[in-house]
Amino acid sequence: MSSGGERGPGPAGSGSRPRAHRTGDHEGFALRDNVEMGQRELASGEAPTPSAAAGGRRISWQKWTFMPAFLVAALLATWLWFRGARLDSIAHQAVDNGKVWLALRQHIQLTAISTFFVLIIAIPLGIALTRSRLRRATPFAMALANLGQAVPALGLLILLVIWLGIGARSAIVGMVIYAVLPVLANTIAGLRGIDPTLTEAARGIGMSPTGVLSKVELPLAVPLILAGVRTALVLNVGTATLATFGGGGGLGDLISAGIVTQRMPVLILGSVLTVALALFVEWLASLAELLLRPRGLEVAS
Amino acid sequence: MSFWEYVSSRHDQLLTDTYQHASAVFQCMVIATLLGVLIGVVTYRSEWAGSLATTTTATILTIPSLALIGLLIPIVGLGVAPTVIALTLYGLLPVVRNAIVGLRGVDPALVDAAKGIGMSRTARLLRVELPLAWPPILTGIRVATQMLMGIAAIAAFASGPGLGNEIFRGIASLGSANALNQVLAGTLGIAVLALLFDAAYVLIGRLTISRGIRA
Repeated sequence: MSSGGERGPGPAGSGSRPRAHRTGDHEGFALRDNVEMGQRELASGEAPTPSAAAGGRRISWQKWTFMPAFLVAALLATWLWFRGARLDSIAHQAVDNGKVWLALRQHIQLTAISTFFVLIIAIPLGIALTRSRLRRATPFAMALANLGQAVPALGLLILLVIWLGIGARSAIVGMVIYAVLPVLANTIAGLRGIDPTLTEAARGIGMSPTGVLSKVELPLAVPLILAGVRTALVLNVGTATLATFGGGGGLGDLISAGIVTQRMPVLILGSVLTVALALFVEWLASLAELLLRPRGLEVAS
Repeated sequence: MSFWEYVSSRHDQLLTDTYQHASAVFQCMVIATLLGVLIGVVTYRSEWAGSLATTTTATILTIPSLALIGLLIPIVGLGVAPTVIALTLYGLLPVVRNAIVGLRGVDPALVDAAKGIGMSRTARLLRVELPLAWPPILTGIRVATQMLMGIAAIAAFASGPGLGNEIFRGIASLGSANALNQVLAGTLGIAVLALLFDAAYVLIGRLTISRGIRA
């Protein structure tokens, strides 16, 4: 079971690991993990690839070079095929004059800007909601976060477009609203999962509440917050494809142009680029997650 | 036209879309559950097979749904086929992962005891391991269903069935008086469906989780 515990939990697990060890109840550990991971992270499209490796820094280089190598090969193959494909005037219209680069750049911008706002909103809010004064509001925020998951991203985005007008701005607002809730839930879960004996000990040696937060709670919650960053990035790369329906640009432009005009080369180019970007962003984020994780939290078991 | 007037004047169309949305998600979820549990059962005992299954399904989940549908269209065409394939693929990950973690989390002593009283491998799996792993699997199904609700809306762009069509009709008539009503009807319809499914899963959990492990 120890191996199962190590691969399964990832961020949520590292937060709850001390508790699980204390009770020694392996079964409870797995179930608990699952419910937490399931609801908070899976729902948000989080991919647990790196959590399998999160147990330590001893990750084979093959694992980390496989994804970029695969992406380069796939992109190269697509490019070669696309150069050879016969394009008619409609297809040319969709991809000429640097439209592909523009779409890619817009997509990256949409993702970066919305992720930035998600983080500066969700993480401080998560910290505030776990302080003793606001703790009563936490279940309410969690319920809201779960309820928010029921609203489809597409509908939310278009409602904002109707309200705020066509353009990238409405798309970004929609993406931020959609991704804030899972990241918020992640942060709250991380801070609450900290072993209470640790914060008690910190208070016991005379640390101020600020000291406990900055020296004990936040370092311990770093893995979860990083997981939140990854969740936000992956979610936003996906939601950014929907920006095209509100005139927000991005790679969705190519995909929707390909579907609407029935031009398969355009459709495939747009889809492959989107997939490659999403996988690359996920790869980068999980690499960052691994490198930034505090050393003290690596459990060698 | 107010929203309620719109809903009452189009309730036939809306009900059809709602029914198709629910039935598409439900059917794909049934396939995803069967496949997912099967993959879990086959792979959970081997370290590398389990992580291969989890990594593969996780990678699928990372792919934006519009892009996956875009890649499916050249292969299977527009309509129901790409919708069903995409929904099933996206529904797999939570089920596979929770099935593997759940099955691995079963106390080995219990399996040993089952072996000791002479249960066959199949009986151990069906009567001991799967019932014990069922709560996390059910959680996975719940999470997956909520996700599929939103993805099914996007699949309407590839001429898939469901309430997404209502949203896309609104997009096509952006600026007209009915655009807001159409988008709102589609969005709220999906949200309500998602919550109803969630409530149904709570009920299913009550009925199917073995009494011995109920909290």
